[in-house]
Amino acid sequence: MLELLQQSLFSGLLVGSVYALVALGIALTFGAMKIINLAHGELVLLAAYMAYVIESRTGWNPYAAIPLAFALTGIVSVVIYLLIERIREHRELNSLILTFAIGIILTNAILLVFASDVRSTGSPFLQDAVSFGPVYAMKGEITAFIISLAVMAGLWWWLKNSWYGRAVRAVSSNRDAAKLMGIDPRRVELAAFIVAGILASVAGVALYTMSVVQPALGPGLTIKAFIVAVLAGVGSIPGVFCAALLLGVTEAMTVTLASSALQELVGMVLFLLVLFFMPNGLFGARARRG
Amino acid sequence: MLRLEDVTVRFGGLTALKDVSFAMGAGEILGLVGPNGAGKTTLFNTISGLVRPKTGRILFAEREIGRLPLHARARLGLGRTFQIPQPMHHLTVRENLTVAQVFGAGKADTARVDEILEVMELGQHAERNAATELALQELKRLEIAKALATNPKLLLLDEVLAGLESNAKRRFVDKLRELHERYKLAIVIVEHDIETISTLCSRAVVLNFGQMIADGTPAEVFRNPAVVESYTGAADA
Amino acid sequence: MRSLPALLILAVAIAVPIAFGGNSYVMGLMVSALIVAGVALAWALLGNLGGMVSFGHAAFFGVGAYTSAILSAKFGLPVPLALLAGACGAALCSIVMLPALRLSGPYFALAILAYAHIFKILATEATSITGGSAGFQRFPPLPTVLGLDLSSRVGSYGLLVVLVALCAAIYLAVKRSHVGTALRAMAESEDATRVVGVNATLLKAWMLLLSAFITGLFGAMNAHIINFLEPDYAFSASWSILPIIAAIFGGYRTILGPVAGAVLIYLFDQIIAKELLPVGHEILLGVLLAGMILIAPNGLFGMFQRKATKGAAHAAA
Repeated sequence: MLELLQQSLFSGLLVGSVYALVALGIALTFGAMKIINLAHGELVLLAAYMAYVIESRTGWNPYAAIPLAFALTGIVSVVIYLLIERIREHRELNSLILTFAIGIILTNAILLVFASDVRSTGSPFLQDAVSFGPVYAMKGEITAFIISLAVMAGLWWWLKNSWYGRAVRAVSSNRDAAKLMGIDPRRVELAAFIVAGILASVAGVALYTMSVVQPALGPGLTIKAFIVAVLAGVGSIPGVFCAALLLGVTEAMTVTLASSALQELVGMVLFLLVLFFMPNGLFGARARRG
Repeated sequence: MLRLEDVTVRFGGLTALKDVSFAMGAGEILGLVGPNGAGKTTLFNTISGLVRPKTGRILFAEREIGRLPLHARARLGLGRTFQIPQPMHHLTVRENLTVAQVFGAGKADTARVDEILEVMELGQHAERNAATELALQELKRLEIAKALATNPKLLLLDEVLAGLESNAKRRFVDKLRELHERYKLAIVIVEHDIETISTLCSRAVVLNFGQMIADGTPAEVFRNPAVVESYTGAADA
Repeated sequence: MRSLPALLILAVAIAVPIAFGGNSYVMGLMVSALIVAGVALAWALLGNLGGMVSFGHAAFFGVGAYTSAILSAKFGLPVPLALLAGACGAALCSIVMLPALRLSGPYFALAILAYAHIFKILATEATSITGGSAGFQRFPPLPTVLGLDLSSRVGSYGLLVVLVALCAAIYLAVKRSHVGTALRAMAESEDATRVVGVNATLLKAWMLLLSAFITGLFGAMNAHIINFLEPDYAFSASWSILPIIAAIFGGYRTILGPVAGAVLIYLFDQIIAKELLPVGHEILLGVLLAGMILIAPNGLFGMFQRKATKGAAHAAA
């Protein structure tokens, strides 16, 4: 039993790193534009299917799909941004419905092109197991974990040091003040959506290498990302990372101790409890009361 | 009627009000004075429930109201206006008053709505869209009318006289006296004009940097060196 | 003059069974369209009066369906009472959502989305109550009242027309009441409305309860009409998606819009979209929804209303 728990803790940590990437994409666009992109999960899924295309057509490692996946998710992400820009009235709520609709379009487009079959990597390297003392993991999971960490470090550096990154933070914390400082919020929002696209492309490819994908996965990914963002209090990268690991571990533990059917339930109940009773999240501070 | 005990309000690291205490009786008209940024509007927001005090107690009609939500305070008889008028959007002037009356006073009384429209000289605008079809001074009168429709015992007026030329201002001061008599109101009014405060109010309270620096009759208060300094200091800055 | 569209829709509603009464395919489509219409109306009520966008009405729909089916099949409750119980069950479930009312728009939308997922999982897992994914059938159909067999296509259709009209009337009554006026003000001036004594959260809670009640009622109706339930069907995201598209397409700030929108959208989906794309036909609905939000967020009826008011203003000037 102890080994089982250790193992699920370990697997949960590994999958949590990918959740963190998905959540950071949502948190970034939410921070910059105060808009939740309900199609973000579908963006991730789109990238995962690009990995499938590259792997099944060329036999290369799925990670070779990142440039292609990014090109696609980047374009779709920018299109989403441009469409949101066009909404004139009740932008907060209408953008929810718009991105919800885009999510439906993407899910069904994937369904049309790839059918509803479940896909996963066939790479012997990625599926090869390695052991770390009492626990083991697929090389795909380890790779995904390392790449996720690297991307998060890159994001952290970008937000801290680049002009755009600092502008994103400035707009996120105080839009009007940022405007007064001469920052054009629209350029910053666009940058946030492009970076969210990059994060989604890496997350999608990583997801494909360590798990199975199918067209209906999108909304679940969006919700998980939002669960993480809410747990973290939409604050810092470390906060999001910790919350994502927490979600990953909670899910893995639930599967081990109860059943796989309840996996999503626990995350969502946790989400609602935090939303209702801890409005500032577990790690951060931002009011979300109406 | 209204009593504040050591009310302190903080926004993040900024202390907006510090240990503010005063009490006022029924039927009193109190002038609230102080330079811009002294915390007058914050005080109104705290009393009416838009802002939660960090510490201290607020009692209204012998009842602790510091933890009551906005709407519950309104129903107890606490009416207020906003410095920047906030009409209820998408509603006509009459609907504004009706909603205030039904929810604030707990009854629908068309005659009383008509009376308030008449008193506040809004009768001819009754069917206009409050948010889009009124001029600024009409909006300010609507602010008071809305508050009156809730059957208040205490009215908090935030710079309702600003922007009026002196004749209009005198007439409006008379109007406030009329309301005070007719509806048996206690009034707290934020106003910069010393003459107005002196003629209208029996008492004045002065705030500066979130702290109360004087409390007394207008004549006493405006002779107080600390008050004079706060004003001239603010004028220099 | 103002009731002309309503009369027109009523005339169409009466004409349909006269023209197609014998055609069970058409009547079946119309019955399902009316179910969607009821949910769309409930969704629009919450959106328009309560100012809340819900992506989780499937939860209320499914709860209404299962409550009514289980009470009538396992506890022998007469179907009309079971329908009512289904509606009440959904309203009861919405109480769990009340804490979400304090959240601002996007957070509420996602909370209710998560909420719907939770119900779907619970229904699948609680096999002893719902029969799980194996499905649940053999519960009583709609009864015969005054010689009219409500379980027949035409009978169900008639009952649904009455129910939709009734719900529209309730919606209209709420909208025109003081509560409706206060809610209208709240949309853009919440502080100003609360400061005169309006308990914003309470009014929104009533709208959520009413919306859930109506949705549960139509979920229950649907269950007894098709006589089969499984969690994937009863809690399907379609019961959230179709009403949203119907309400937005028709105009969610109007009362007739969601009803007309539901019939048009459902028929479009079943007759045209499914014909063109047997798999993934919802992509066309997605395109339609995105297009409406971008081009005409007030919907078809909203546009007409705007033109009509403009026309009236011109005529008066």
